[in-house]
This record gives sequence, C-alpha cells and structure tokens, in this order.
Amino acid sequence: MNTSKKIVLAEDNSILALLLKYKLEKEGYTLLMAKDGKEAIELIELHNPEIILTDIMMPFVSGLEVISYVRNKLNLTTPIIVFSSSGQEEMVLNAFNIGATDFMSKPFSPNELIIRIKRLLFNKTIFDKTW
Amino acid sequence: MVNLFYYIVEYFKYSPKIIQLLWASSVVFTLIIIGLSIYLNHIRIRLRAKERIKAVYQKKYESDLIEYLYSGNGVDEISKEQQIIIDYLSNCAKSSLKRKIIISTLLKLKDEISGEIADAIQKLYCQTGLVNYASYKLKSKKWDVIAKGIKELAQFEIKDALNDVIEHIDHPKREVRKEIQMYLVKLFRFEGLEFLNILTNQLSEWDQIQLLEILQKFENQHIPDITKWLESSNNSVVSFSLKLAKIYNQYEAKDHIINLLNHSNQEIRIESINVLSHFGDIDSLIILKSDFNQRSIEEQVIIFKMMEDINEVSDIPFLLEHINNMNFDIKVSVTKILKKLKNSEANDSRFITTDIEYSEKTSLIKAS
Repeated sequence: MNTSKKIVLAEDNSILALLLKYKLEKEGYTLLMAKDGKEAIELIELHNPEIILTDIMMPFVSGLEVISYVRNKLNLTTPIIVFSSSGQEEMVLNAFNIGATDFMSKPFSPNELIIRIKRLLFNKTIFDKTW
Repeated sequence: MVNLFYYIVEYFKYSPKIIQLLWASSVVFTLIIIGLSIYLNHIRIRLRAKERIKAVYQKKYESDLIEYLYSGNGVDEISKEQQIIIDYLSNCAKSSLKRKIIISTLLKLKDEISGEIADAIQKLYCQTGLVNYASYKLKSKKWDVIAKGIKELAQFEIKDALNDVIEHIDHPKREVRKEIQMYLVKLFRFEGLEFLNILTNQLSEWDQIQLLEILQKFENQHIPDITKWLESSNNSVVSFSLKLAKIYNQYEAKDHIINLLNHSNQEIRIESINVLSHFGDIDSLIILKSDFNQRSIEEQVIIFKMMEDINEVSDIPFLLEHINNMNFDIKVSVTKILKKLKNSEANDSRFITTDIEYSEKTSLIKAS
C-alpha cells in the first residue's frame, strides 16, 4: 500500500539517517536522503515527495530555509515534520510560523515517527480527495 | 664553486665576532625552521591519514550498528547475526582508537533516539565489553581518566557502576566530583541527590545550576524531603537546598528555612529571605522586622524587597522609621511600599489624614 510513497529525509547525522532509512523502508516507503538542506531542496524539486522530514540545524541550508522554500517558492502543501533538539524551542515556533506541519524533539522514538507519518499521510489523502 | 666556498669561509673567518655570531644564529634558525616545517608536514599527513581511517571505521561501525539493531529476532535472545557483530566489535574494542570510534558511533545515535533502540544500544555497549573499559578507568590514578570513565558510564546509563562511582564522591578534583554528581542525578534523578548527605566538598554555583537543569528535564517532579540538607554543615548543600525549595515550592520546609535566618553565613541568610519572600510568608517577616537593626545592610535591603510584595497597613510605622535610611535601595523600597499602601488604602482616610508625619514624609511619593 505504501510502496509508492516517497519521503525526503534531510538529516546531517549519518547514523540517524541510516537508521530511519532502514526503519521507513521496512514500512514500505521510498526514502530519499539528503545530508543538508541544499540537497533536500534538490530532491524535493526533483521527486515531489509525499512527506518531508527535516532537521532544523543543518549545514549550508537550515531546516527553516527548506520549509520556507517549499511553502513560498514551490508553493507545495506537502506535510513537513521537523526534528529539533532541546533548547531549540524558539526555532520550532518559527518553523510552525513558516509552515511546518509537525515536530519531534530529539531524542525521539522511530516508532512514534512512523505513527505520525502515517497519520499525516492519511490526512493528506483525505484532503486531496475532498479538494 | 670551490672558490665561492673558500670565499665564504674566508669571509666568515675574518669577519668581526658579532657578524660571525649573527651568521651562525641565522644558520641555526634556518635549520630549525626547515626541521619544524618538515615535522609539521609530517603531523599533518599523519592526522589526515588518521581522519581517513576514522571515517572508514566509523562508516563500517555505523552499518554494523544498524545491522545489529535490525537483525534481532524480536525476543530477548541474541540472534546469530547479532552475535557475530558483538564478537567483531568486542575484538575491535581492544584497540584504543577503534574503541573511541565505536563509542562515539554508539553515542551519536543514542543521543538522538529514545525507546527500545536506545535500550538496544545500551545493551550492545555492555555485550561488547565496552562497559568494562569504562569501569576500569575508575581505578586509574589520573583524575581526567576517572572523570572520562564516569562521564561515559553516565552517557550509557550504567546504573550497576554506582558503587565504584560513589567511591570518588569526595575526590580532590572538582571535575571528577562534578561528573559523579551528574551521573547520580542523570541516572537516579531526585534519589541521586542523596550524595548531598555525605558531600564534604563545596558544590559550586555552576555545578548547582547544571544539576537543577538536569532535574528539570524529568517528568516526575516528586522531590524528596530536603529538610536534612537545609541543616547540613556544608554551606553549599544548604544553598542548593534553598534553590530546590524555591523552584519546587517546598513550603513544608518553611520552619527549617526560618531557622536559617540566623545562619552564620550571610549568603545563606539572604537566600533564605528570598525563598521565604517567594513563599509569601508573613510569619518570617515579623521575625525579620523584630531583629531588623541587628542584620547586615545587605539583609536589610532584601527584607525591604520582600516587603514590596508582602505588606500591610500595620507596617507603616516601621516603614516611616526607615524612610530616611542612609541606604538608597532601602529608601526606594520604603517609598514604593508606602505608595502601594497609599493606593490600596485610598479610601481609608484614617492613617493618611491624621498622620502628619506620614503626610510630610510621603511628599516624595505624591510627586512620583
């Protein structure tokens, strides 16, 4: 059911990215990995994913800039989940202000992430069908 | 060429001593610079090679770790694939460099993930015998090695090492003591504060702030009885307990805090007044007013700050006594309190109109 769902993951922690890749691929999603915001933007433009997962703090282009680009330049309504660390509460608020859909504070449970992804994709499907 | 060489030798030979010395030192320094340049280049090449090796191993250990996490059979038993990875990593851990890379790889993921995966990483840390290396560090004679060992045990949440860790609670080095305190509080939460019972060294202000920061992260904010720490002979423990009392609103400890108003240490007396002020405790204010003149000027200032929040009409005579106090802060506080009382008692003409002294002295208030 989920085989065609594409997810862009922007995360500079290589091992966390690898772990989420395995976990999400096991769930049937196609993972497109970016190690910074710049790569993430390129992948989003190229593949138009169903959902975007992004860390807030990344080299070159931050998570906030990725959200802003997706919402303002590409005009996409793709759900975006941001990952934040403790002490980045203000940045999370900024992320919501510029269009983030959900956030997860590190350390987080990958199982919880999957639940959130499923819920957002479900909401997106209903939204797409309605409109 | 030979002629040139002879010319240089002759020139050097018949030159004045100072010129000879300058030439000799120039040659020596030139040789030193060339030697250092070669050495620095060598170090740079070695470091780059080391970084390359580290990157290769890190990549390998990252994929091993992921494989370990996903090759479990769902029950507590270790699968065959997992055992192969455990054996491989245990073998690698014998090398100091590889051990450091494995630990940093484990922590890189553990810091970002919670739940069963974090537990599995902790399990792997024990299964590979890495925990033994950290425990062994606690027996070292070098303080920095001990501190690193304790920090690592705290990062991997190894509660079993408590007895070995607690042995160093009064270590002469502050850094070691700090790591122990972090270990105890991070792993045992408020129960970890029991080390305050036996602490004889001073708990610095920075240490106290860090401990409070860790404690505030926990969901269960049930704080143990702090009264025994309020009676501690260690002033830093008393000071920390007062901070706990204020942050966690330990009103039950009020009587013990009132006792601290006569503590030998002025800082503690001031902190106690601040905490009682935070509680809004009127009883303590009565005590403080009764022996006001015996207290230091710093305490007097804090008492008036307290009165800015807790005051009543009956305080007016006391306030009037100090409206011309030599201390500017006290004078400002008195003015603020009187103004506040005047506003709140605006309809009560009893004390405003009949007290001439008050009317005269509060001309400043009216002006403000």
